Amino acid sequence: MRLLLVEDELDIQSFLIRSLEEAGYQVEAAADGKTAERLAIDGAFDILIVDLGLPDQDGISLILRLRQLGVKAPVLILSARRSVDDRVRGLEQGGDDYLTKPFALAELLARLRNLLKRNNPVGSETTRLRVLDLELDLLRREASRSGQMLQLTPQEFVLLEYFCRNAGRVVTRSMILDKVWGMRIQPDTNVVDVHIYRLRGKVDGKGQQPLIRTLRGVGYVLKDR
Amino acid sequence: MSSRIDNPKIRSAAWRISLWATLAFAFGTMIVFVFLHRFIADDIKNRSDAWITGEVEVLGDVAERTPKDALYSRVVGEVAELAEKEIPNKLRSGSGSNDSVFFLQAGADGSLKLWVGAGSGQNTLDAIQKTNMLLDQPTDVRVSESAVPFRVASVRIDDGSRIYLGLSERDELRVLRSLRLRFFLLWLLIVLFGFTIVFSTTRRMLSHVRRITEAASRIGHSDLNARVPTTERNDEVAQLALTLNRMLDRIENSMHQLHTITDSLAHDLRSPLTAIRGKLEMSLSAVAQIEQAEPIVSAIEELDRLTEFLNQSLDVAEAKADALRLAPSEIDLNELLRVMIDLYEPSMAEKGLQITLRSAGPLNVQADAALIHRMIANLFDNELKHLPAACTVTIQLQTEDDMASLLLEDDGPGFTSEVIPYLFERRVKGRESNGHGLGLAFIDAVARAHGGAVTAHNCERGGAYIAITLPLAPSDGIESPAGSARG
Repeated sequence: MRLLLVEDELDIQSFLIRSLEEAGYQVEAAADGKTAERLAIDGAFDILIVDLGLPDQDGISLILRLRQLGVKAPVLILSARRSVDDRVRGLEQGGDDYLTKPFALAELLARLRNLLKRNNPVGSETTRLRVLDLELDLLRREASRSGQMLQLTPQEFVLLEYFCRNAGRVVTRSMILDKVWGMRIQPDTNVVDVHIYRLRGKVDGKGQQPLIRTLRGVGYVLKDR
Repeated sequence: MSSRIDNPKIRSAAWRISLWATLAFAFGTMIVFVFLHRFIADDIKNRSDAWITGEVEVLGDVAERTPKDALYSRVVGEVAELAEKEIPNKLRSGSGSNDSVFFLQAGADGSLKLWVGAGSGQNTLDAIQKTNMLLDQPTDVRVSESAVPFRVASVRIDDGSRIYLGLSERDELRVLRSLRLRFFLLWLLIVLFGFTIVFSTTRRMLSHVRRITEAASRIGHSDLNARVPTTERNDEVAQLALTLNRMLDRIENSMHQLHTITDSLAHDLRSPLTAIRGKLEMSLSAVAQIEQAEPIVSAIEELDRLTEFLNQSLDVAEAKADALRLAPSEIDLNELLRVMIDLYEPSMAEKGLQITLRSAGPLNVQADAALIHRMIANLFDNELKHLPAACTVTIQLQTEDDMASLLLEDDGPGFTSEVIPYLFERRVKGRESNGHGLGLAFIDAVARAHGGAVTAHNCERGGAYIAITLPLAPSDGIESPAGSARG
């Protein structure tokens, strides 16, 4: 995957390049709009990360210009601004995504994956999810582990489904709040953790291998190996 | 023109202004007319008096000189009839008979000697004798059979008899009556005309004022670049519109400046926060032992708390200046609360708290969903942090005066007396609180930015009571106010 990172803050640029390369992307970076434009036309990129506050031009103008020039790759917009510009909403509707600084790396990677998936839809929706010995029937809304039915509330099922779809990858609390409860909030209490403990209590029975792992300071991961 | 949208208050102002103006005008013209009428009446009277006294003297002369023979009454009668032709203010009476003037000669003993005129001479003489006649001065005499009084002058002649000459005031009264009638018709016409002009002018002016009001109330924080309509005329209303627009320019300018400041502040703080967070995460992934990870983890958590604090501080700062930027949409408060309660219920249960929602079903409000989410999360976080075990939080959702109201009540210890006066100020928190003290200030800021309000106090039983009102979505309310009133 070829990725173009347009970010003028060199501090942020350097750690993003490192973590994106670790995640398997081939990264090229630009610190201003002009360079970004030149790079985007020359090289075929699969995805772009564009910061809104560039020294020579507005990030949105750059994206609109690149679209005019025929660049079709999806864009993840980074912004340190307070309000979401109407034009950003427009781009969001056009299939691009938006992330506010500061962000968790796991969330950035998840959003990149989503953008790429959206761009290359693979086959039809599955009706069953399987992670190790955990099985989810999406039509009947039933989950089982090692053939043993799990008694889950509808909300817990949605949470587990989200974990299964992201098996092996880190999900953060704000990602869970966004995708499962549909809200972008930052509670300063442990509301999400308690939900995870409850789910873990049902999924990871006695004597079984614990599937849901806590990565402190980062989030959670559902083991797939 | 939007005269369909009747604003009763302003309409009544047009009515009121034109009514008072017309009343003043009508009253004024009436007074002028009364004076004019009196002047004319006096003038007519003076003329008749002058004529009548002159004439009676002539007649007296004639009566003295004419020998008292059979021709006497004829001669005097002719002279009297001749005099009649010279009456001032004479109107052609249809009958042609001489009923507007009489000539009467009474003997020294008071008997009727000569009568020239219509009607009964004796009656007239009786009436004259009843009236206290002044010598050499015309006097009003009312003869019973005639409704119209006569102006009578008298002169004494040598033989001791008196000569009376009477002039009916009928013509004079007729002149005055026709004057009054004409004036009244003209006055009615002028007053009606004046009322119409004043009314239409004030209404036109006030409708412009109303359009300005409507436009001004539409200009919320979301629509600060709109302006009130202006006209080409250079009157007070146009000046008002211009002044309002200039004021809006200044408000927009300072609002813009505030946004620039908060934006650049946010940018300047978030960029290093992003870099720090990223580096912390990278070093976290590099460490193997849990013990080494602990400080990094808590640093990341602190950083997230700092970020949320920064966001809320800037929101509160903008909201205090009425400059919070909203992206309102129609949201069902009932549904939103159910989802939020579902999210918070396990944490509350873990602490031994109960939370219940009392609601009559869907309740749509016009609000910024993200801000309302954060507001409610804030409210619940506060409850979660401050309530001791075994308490109950009750949330009630209802409609009140075109507003949705969310009432939160708990049976905990309530607010301590030292914080109650400062509940909505920044950095106020209880002694045991580990929050950053923005909670209620943020809730208040969000509610106010939406045109709602927050009240908070302790219940009688001791728990905390917080009431939040938000404007209903237009389709849900009976009629949404154009510019949500701010209290």
